[in-house]
Parts: sequence; C-alpha cells; structure tokens
Amino acid sequence: MNAGIQVRERHTKHWAPAFKKLRRLKVQKVKLPNFREEDTISELTPDQIRSRMKEQGILPPRSWMERPITISATGAVFEPYIPPEGDGKLSSLTLGGAKQSMEFLSKKSKSMLAVRKIRSFEDNFSPSTFAEEAQDIYIKAHKALVEKDYDTLHQCVTELCFPLMTEDLKMCTTRWQFLKSLEPPRVVHARCTDIINKENIFSQVTVRFHTQQTLAVYDRFGRLIYGSEVVAKDVVEYVVFEKHLANSYGLWRIHEKIIPDWMPAREPGRKTYVQQKPVAESEPVADTAVPATPTEQSAAVA
Amino acid sequence: MEILLRQFQTKSFLSICKCLEPAYSHATSWTSGNAMLGKTLFHTSNTVAMPYNPPKGPRKWPIYNKKIFAPQLPGEERRPAYVCHMRTNIKYSPFKMWYVASMIRGMSVDEAIKQLSFVNKQGAVHVKEVLLEAQKLAVEKHNVEFKSNLWVAESFATKGLVMKGIRRHAKGRVGLVHYFHCHYFVRLEEGSPPAHFFFETAPKTTKTLLSEWVDEMRQRRIPGSL
Repeated sequence: MNAGIQVRERHTKHWAPAFKKLRRLKVQKVKLPNFREEDTISELTPDQIRSRMKEQGILPPRSWMERPITISATGAVFEPYIPPEGDGKLSSLTLGGAKQSMEFLSKKSKSMLAVRKIRSFEDNFSPSTFAEEAQDIYIKAHKALVEKDYDTLHQCVTELCFPLMTEDLKMCTTRWQFLKSLEPPRVVHARCTDIINKENIFSQVTVRFHTQQTLAVYDRFGRLIYGSEVVAKDVVEYVVFEKHLANSYGLWRIHEKIIPDWMPAREPGRKTYVQQKPVAESEPVADTAVPATPTEQSAAVA
Repeated sequence: MEILLRQFQTKSFLSICKCLEPAYSHATSWTSGNAMLGKTLFHTSNTVAMPYNPPKGPRKWPIYNKKIFAPQLPGEERRPAYVCHMRTNIKYSPFKMWYVASMIRGMSVDEAIKQLSFVNKQGAVHVKEVLLEAQKLAVEKHNVEFKSNLWVAESFATKGLVMKGIRRHAKGRVGLVHYFHCHYFVRLEEGSPPAHFFFETAPKTTKTLLSEWVDEMRQRRIPGSL
C-alpha cells in the first residue's frame, strides 16, 4: 500500500450519505438471545465465565456448602486374584485338571485371615456356603439386568459395577439364560481393607464359576448384535463380591470381574467400525498433488 | 448410598468422574493415601448454585430416539435404523428455511451434504451442520454401521422464537420488524434412498396409466340425460 494515494475499497455508495446516522436510527436495535452459547462455553476461561455471570446477575456458588457423603462401595479391587493360566481348559477327570481343582483356599494364609475377619462381623460365614449364595446373587443380578429392574440390581451389584453393566445395554434388549453349573462354585480369594478409618472395613471375596449360559443382545431396533439365544457357551468367570462389613445393612454384591490376559477373546461384534487413528504428532502435512489419472499400481489392484 | 444412587440416576458415570475437575466448583480434598479412593465414584461439587433454567423449545423430537423395538424374529426383514436430530432456535426465518429443508428430502446423506455446501442460503450452513451431527450420532449411538448408508427420511422446519422490534417510516408511521428464529428437524434412516420419494414426481407405470384412462372413460356421462 503506497502512502498518500487514496484507494477506494468500497465500490458502492448511497445516493444521500449525509443521512446515514438517521437512517440507522430508523430501526430500534433489539438484543436477541444467543442460543448458540452452549457450544462456546467450554472454551471460556474462568475469568470470562465470571464476567458473563456478572452480566446475567448470577451469584457464584458458595464454597462452604457441605453435603454428607456415604461411601458404600470401594473404587477398585485390592490385591486382585491372579487366576492360574489355562484354568478351566482341562477336564477334572485328567491329572492336570484334578490338580487345578485341588487349589484349596485353606492353603492361602492371607485369604484365611480375611475370612477370619469376615467371621468377626458375620458369624456363620463359610467359604463353601458362601459360594452357593454368590451364585444365587449372580443369577439374581443378571435376571434384574435383563428385565432392567434397577432397584433389584442395586441390591445385587455395587456402585462400581452398576454403570459397567448397564451403560452399554441401556438402549438394547438382552436375553440371558443360566443353563447349569458345570463345576460347583468355589471361593478362591478373599481380602479385607479399610477406607479412611481403621474400623470402616470392606471385604472382597473372589468366587470362581464354571457355568453354561446363553446370551443374546439385540440393539434398539431389535437386530441381533451379539451372541445367540440357542447356542450355549461354557463360561469360566472370577467374580469379585464385596460387602461393607462395618455397615450393619451391608450386602454381598457383585463388584468386579477378573478377566485374565490368557482368557480367549470374546466373540467379535456383528458390525464393522472405523478404527480411531491415534492423534498424530504436529508434523506439517505436505500437500502432494493427487494424480488424476490412475497409476499402474491402482490399475493392477483393480 | 442414597446420594450415590441419586447421582447415577441423574447423571452419567463419565460426567460424574469428570466433575472432579470442573471449572468453578469446589471439591473437598481427600487427603488419605488410600489407593481405593483413586478411582472415586462420587463428587462433592455444588450442583444447586446455578439458577434453574427450564428447557425451552421443542423437546419431543429426540424422544423418538429412545424407543426400543422388540427383538426381531430370525426370518423377519431387518428393520432399518433411524436417528432423529434437531437444532432449535436458529436465527433464520422458517419461511426461508423451508426451501432448504424441502430440497434435501429423500436424498442420501452424502448427496444432501454435497448439495448444501453449494446452496446460497445461510440456512444451508445450519442444516449441513445438523446433518453431520446426526450422521455422527447414528454411527456412535444408534448402531448404524456405515455412515454413508443413510438417507433423509424427514426434513422440516418450524417457527421458533419471534421477537418484535419497531422501525419508523415516513410521516410518523410505525412498522413492526420481526426477528424470526426457526427449529430444524431431520430424521435419517439407514439404507439407500427410495427411487421416488415424492409420489407425484414418480413416473406412472403403463398399468396405472391404463387403469386411470379406463376410470376417466367410465366417468363420462351424457349431460341432461335421465
């Protein structure tokens, strides 16, 4: 831009430019509400949010508001059970299989200490009876999940497990059947821990199930997306049950499932999906010209 | 227990976890080194401080997305998936938006997006954004496998908020200025678009033409006869 030379940017001009201000005052400006505010709210800094709240006359939230909180479930499995590799593959009639089933809970000292701790709260707790109870809770929980009976499900399942079980199935219909137990359920692991106070004890007991089940999951439109209603599957599962011992109204509920690395992968889903590429490092993408004519390679592929 | 229950009933799990680091809420800090609270399941921030703004505008359209159909029998024809999406209170006139909405009816999603990119209307920008959002929703939440395998089954715009302002005319006369908003609704259905979406523009088969001609012939009457 050369200084001193007047350059015309506009190519149009009103026939009476002297009255521009009056013409502008003809229409009273109306402040329209901004309906697209929510799209940009996440990009605002706290200072900007503060200024917007002042404009609207909204007071900031009070910082000393106290609310009581109840911790009725822990956030994870502590000292998880490590299932022995190849468990459930050998029949119990073979030597190897018999050795696997000979894994006694009484030989594990830490687990026995935990069982003793549980007995101090629950007098008639015994691993053998508990295993059967655990299976009943398992069946009850899954039946409640299928029927979407969330009240019963909360009684059978902890707060950690509940979203993991229900989130993906919210828009789906599930059909589940417990056919039979191939091996009697067995308690394989037990641990106790305290949260915040030494007296606030939670106990986690891992139970091994070897059962036959059928599972069919249908999507929102009634199309089958996983499993089959007819084909039964043999399932070896290590389910962690948790109880808040210090709470007199505590219940044994399903907390988590231990899925070892050597477990065979599940049946793949019935649809394909685009794999999300990992976010690339900040490398400038070179704009290479795409050849308009097909190359020899692409012609060979086609 | 109740608080935890309530949180899960009103919010999603992820939003609860994310609530631990919000912009301006005040989470109490747990100083214990207990590893079990690392993956916490609750938040302590204030949810009651902000004034309650009731939802405004249309709310029934997305409810169609919550309908769960009964499982299909093995021999039944596969039910096509659909997704309903909308954008409310777009600063655009519904009378102008009608042109854009009706243009894309019956088109495949890709074709509709292509056409909208080159339509010389401000409303087309909004409609294109809504279509892209709906496509994304369909793939992520409504079990649609291929994002291109969608077509525009329903597309319409309705009147939104109308604010009135005034302007002056010559000789002290007053005029009303309407500031229109519109709501735009779209339903994408899985599958390829039908060959003829509009019944009127579909070419008639020789059979229909013949039957129509025969009906016309039979309707003839002699005027003034008994």
